[in-house]
Amino acid sequence: MIPKIASGIAGLDELTGGLPENTMTLVYGPPKTGKSIFCYQFLRQAVADGDLCSYLMTDYIQSQLEQQMMVFDWFIHDYIQDKKLYVIDTASGSVGAMQKETKNMMISSPQNPTDIASKVIQQLQDIYQQTRAFRSILDSSTTLFAFNSPILVIRVLKSYIMRIKMAGGTGIITYTEGTAETEIETMLKASVDNIIYLDSETITIEAMAGLRQESAGYQITDNGIVVG
Amino acid sequence: MAAEIEGRRRTYIPMLDEMLGGGMPAGTSMLFTAMPGVASEVFGCQIIAERMRNDGDVSFIYTNTRTPVEIEHVFHRYGWDLRSALDSGQTFFVDSISSMMGMPAIGKYEIDDFKDSEKVVAEAIADIAGGTAVIEDVSTLLDSIGVDQTFDMIEGLNEVARSNDVNMIYLFTRWNYEKVMLGRLSQLVDCEVKLFSVEEKVVYRQVFAITKSNWIEASGTKIFFEVLEPGGVRVFIPKLLVTGPYNAGKTTFAHAIAPDTVSVERQTFELFPTTVGLDIGHLDYKGFSADVFGTPGQERFDLLLEPLGREAIGTFIVIDSTKPETFVRAKEMIRMCRTEAIPKVIIANKQDLPNALSPDEIKKKMALWEGVPIVPVSATDGKGLSEALDTLFSLIYEI
Ligand SMILES: Nc1nc2c(ncn2[C@@H]2O[C@H](COP(=O)(O)OP(=O)(O)OP(=O)(O)O)[C@@H](O)[C@H]2O)c(=O)[nH]1
Ligand SMILES: [Mg+2]
Repeated sequence: MIPKIASGIAGLDELTGGLPENTMTLVYGPPKTGKSIFCYQFLRQAVADGDLCSYLMTDYIQSQLEQQMMVFDWFIHDYIQDKKLYVIDTASGSVGAMQKETKNMMISSPQNPTDIASKVIQQLQDIYQQTRAFRSILDSSTTLFAFNSPILVIRVLKSYIMRIKMAGGTGIITYTEGTAETEIETMLKASVDNIIYLDSETITIEAMAGLRQESAGYQITDNGIVVG
Repeated sequence: MAAEIEGRRRTYIPMLDEMLGGGMPAGTSMLFTAMPGVASEVFGCQIIAERMRNDGDVSFIYTNTRTPVEIEHVFHRYGWDLRSALDSGQTFFVDSISSMMGMPAIGKYEIDDFKDSEKVVAEAIADIAGGTAVIEDVSTLLDSIGVDQTFDMIEGLNEVARSNDVNMIYLFTRWNYEKVMLGRLSQLVDCEVKLFSVEEKVVYRQVFAITKSNWIEASGTKIFFEVLEPGGVRVFIPKLLVTGPYNAGKTTFAHAIAPDTVSVERQTFELFPTTVGLDIGHLDYKGFSADVFGTPGQERFDLLLEPLGREAIGTFIVIDSTKPETFVRAKEMIRMCRTEAIPKVIIANKQDLPNALSPDEIKKKMALWEGVPIVPVSATDGKGLSEALDTLFSLIYEI
């Protein structure tokens, strides 16, 4: 039996039994199909389970994450106060660079993967002191592709995935289909353990240890993504 | 402190100048090769900031990873004032990032097309004769203009730098590139300093070492460093922990590997001494320098273990090979030292005694630590000591 963790997506775990522990899952699909909402639900499950979460955000900042989750009545304020969320924010740009950083809130920039990697590791050290089981979210690798040469991004993601897994984490990475060349997409898929595809109507488990390809319908409701 | 040698230009990175015989000869180049996750930017910042402050150096920063505004903040966080040097023209940017991000370029020179990089940077070098140029970073160039073009560019720039007595400082993050490529890159520069981490599962210590130098023999000595804000690169002496159950031979072992060790002991009822403080010594072995801390074995000192374990970069767990009933206690002590996450070696001590269990038998009894090496040692006879040190150091440095 592969140990699994709850994804936080209603109906998805009935299909898969959960996400395999200590693996990396690619969640990809066309724009506006719910990839970020998938992330929010994954984080919400971390809150529910009391798991720490490393969150690399490229398109929104922590306060926006909090607001967007509030739309669904999901609250992370206490979770943040308890220092359980570890954010690396590459969205606030030069304004962010002036902020005071803390272990739980670090600022970087999308075109500086060296700095991102060094910050991920600083946070992982802190996380590792506390637990061997945590969650990680990278939303979205698309932004990294926009600012760097694609092959460099693949190198960076491989190193990121290795770090998260070595420290014991279970994570997701989002990617918007079609923003990089086909070969790059293939390399991206080869770097992760599980692949989930969202096309706005159907969710497909393209790859997951011990599973055959599975699909089901889904909708985005007031409770987030609901499968089946 | 090594004596200043005529013509050597200091880097102001602690220990690096000493190891380089005073610093860099004018006109030479240095490559900082950082493993992903190890902070490298600070090395470039520190060299130009300190040179500007101490030597009135002129310089520029070529950047394709961070915007000039971000770089200015980074300097500020380390406690170096870039602004007034920018205002006075003592330093300037060659900005190869802003236009790519759709922002107005900041700096004396700007590059909108990577292909122009060599020409523009060469011009900038000619502006700072006798000064220092920081190129950050090479990884982005490699993946943008290709390996051959990047190498041609570095070669060309180094030549211009040589004739202008400019020191070139290249920053490079070593993502998973091919070995051959890395070797070629290293050949292009006069000196290479590798930045890497000493780790198990997560990085917890950073190390630098000179792996190549054209003007002095590179010893490969590894220097532990930390980065302070403010302050920049600081060197520190790593700690090795010697722990294990009561009477296992920890103090004897610590004295054997670090002969100047000082111990605080007291006679017990059985009339042999037991440690009631720490065994503290210093070790220099094959270019590696460390402080050795031996813990007491008695349970009443357990509170000491956690803070020591947090500081250590490697641990020897000394066990008495004739006393399997103490192995459980050894495991407990490791847990208390939080040393699960740092490299460790089990010292199967007292191998000179006839009833000593062999490493294999011990391994079986300690099923928990499949991956942890066990080294047979007799601390009193001084047998197995260098095997013990080699084993731990190779785990720490992954060599
Ligand atoms: N035969 C033999 N005796 C040893 C060896 N190493 C240590 N001893 C003896 O074991 C006893 C305990 O050694 P120590 O070095 O004081 O042990 P320790 O682990 O520091 O003890 P505590 O600090 O009290 O926990 C002493 O009588 C040593 O002489 C060894 O390799 N062989
Ligand atoms: Mg002792």
